[in-house]
Amino acid sequence: MSSTLHRERLEDVAFRAGYAAVLAFLLLPLVVVVVTSFSKAGRIAFPPESYSLVWYGEFLQSARWIGAFVNSLVVGVGTALLATLLGVLGAFGQELEADAGGDGIVGAVLVPIVLLPLLVPPVILGITLLLYFNEVGLRGSYTSIVLAHTLWATPLVYFVMRSVFSRFDWQQLDAAHDLGAGPVRSFVHVVLPNVKHGIFVGGLLAFIISLQEFVMALFLSTPSTETIPVLAWTEIRQALDPMVSVVSTFLIVISVAAIALAALVTNLEWVSRQLS
Amino acid sequence: MTGANSQTLPTALASLQERLVGESASRRALLLMAPLIAFELLVFVIPFATLLRISVAAPSSEAVYAEGTWSLEAYSEVFGDLLAGDLLLGIVGYSFLIGTVVTVLTVVIALFYAYAIRRSSGLVKSLLLFSVVLPLLTTLVIRTYAFTPLLSPTGTINELLLSAGLLSEPIQFVPNTVGAVVGQVYIVLPYAVLAIYSVLATMDWDVVEAARDLGASRPRAVVEVVLPQAMPGIIVASVISFAWSVGAYAAPGLLSDDLTFAIYVEQLILGDLRYPTAAALSVVTMGLMLAGIGIIFAVLDRFGGEFDLA
Repeated sequence: MSSTLHRERLEDVAFRAGYAAVLAFLLLPLVVVVVTSFSKAGRIAFPPESYSLVWYGEFLQSARWIGAFVNSLVVGVGTALLATLLGVLGAFGQELEADAGGDGIVGAVLVPIVLLPLLVPPVILGITLLLYFNEVGLRGSYTSIVLAHTLWATPLVYFVMRSVFSRFDWQQLDAAHDLGAGPVRSFVHVVLPNVKHGIFVGGLLAFIISLQEFVMALFLSTPSTETIPVLAWTEIRQALDPMVSVVSTFLIVISVAAIALAALVTNLEWVSRQLS
Repeated sequence: MTGANSQTLPTALASLQERLVGESASRRALLLMAPLIAFELLVFVIPFATLLRISVAAPSSEAVYAEGTWSLEAYSEVFGDLLAGDLLLGIVGYSFLIGTVVTVLTVVIALFYAYAIRRSSGLVKSLLLFSVVLPLLTTLVIRTYAFTPLLSPTGTINELLLSAGLLSEPIQFVPNTVGAVVGQVYIVLPYAVLAIYSVLATMDWDVVEAARDLGASRPRAVVEVVLPQAMPGIIVASVISFAWSVGAYAAPGLLSDDLTFAIYVEQLILGDLRYPTAAALSVVTMGLMLAGIGIIFAVLDRFGGEFDLA
């Protein structure tokens, strides 16, 4: 009996040490980024030899970085809006189709097509869209990047909304219809209040996906539409100064603020459950 | 001004409503799905048809490809190179090797970590969840690059190991395959953890307690009870890890000198302007990758767990 207890104690220690190691692995690069952003030297080293805010000053004076920051926000907001619109309408439509007892053929074809872009390597997507947008004259526009990012963001919004809608009590909608509310009014007054958190989380996910994505953006952007990751990629390959760390630190701060906001609107565990 | 707006908006809504009421429920559903269908058609299906078309066009020395021609030259070139065991075989093989190694490592670590999150509570649980979400919010390029000062021959880890006397000379983790694998695992791990955790979070934990009460040791309870139930999450985690790692671009580009398929295709397009070859190689790699995903499904499905797309 005591040997079992002893073994379980050991298991506990190993278990804790194991997840502490993964935790360190996940957070260490972020620590490197934040710490090196305060370095004084012109080269990234960890830990830095001396600290200063000199690279923050550089960032605020760099028109190119500020421009990339603005570009990322424009593309991110555009992607969030478009992906949310498409994903919410699509998921709602499919739910109605199932509810109406339709044969569901459209939905059955739609699901794999919506999902497939997530599995196509971004390089192939980037090249494909580059060739295509050249032909239709969208090259170098914000629209081209927003469309590409929406291809990745829509599946996430769509599946979040599917899981949200599947938990919605559809009899409420029937009740609204019976009481004389039309489709638009019943959606706004009955469905929307129940799913608005899901829509918010979906939109936030879409925005984050867009902020992150860089391979497609690398192919599709021009110097005037380059986003933060694209500029970071170019910079890292040329100079190894801590500017990229400064930008990233800004992004971490913004993101943490966004998470805090999301946590206020809903709660973190719920968010992660929606990611399925 | 506001008066005019508040009048036109309800009118517009009313006319929209009139049209929607007129439709049957399934027509209405179709109408709602229409924007998504149109989008996928215009931005995904047609562009891919274009890619397929270019892959069967003849190469040209004047343009990036000879428009309006039909030829299997690009495919015979790709397959010829692959079968001859040339440089191309090395590149494609290397990409799939990285994909496989990264997938196995990622899924094992993710399963463990998701289980740890599920088992913990309170502040620890919040911290562990936060550690998964936070990397997702940092620019991929930069957080991947952050491994360089840690893993380089003069980097933190080598210096620690050297000063502890565990090494006699520094190991070159970057630029090297080790660096590419570590960076790629780091990129896909958060997604894999979330995919598995989302299943574990809704799982009935009483079953595990029951297994324990019936005398199963903890590892055995995990293998026989938790694992089968977590299988849908494990499948999703494996598929995304594999798909994203075979096509990896950033991690190998930043942390190793080796050519992966993605970097090679980029060179073909932007450097050599050999569009048909690049298109054909993309199509072939996609085919191999989908076959790999099929194998993952087949293997994991045997361990139980019903998987449903939606």
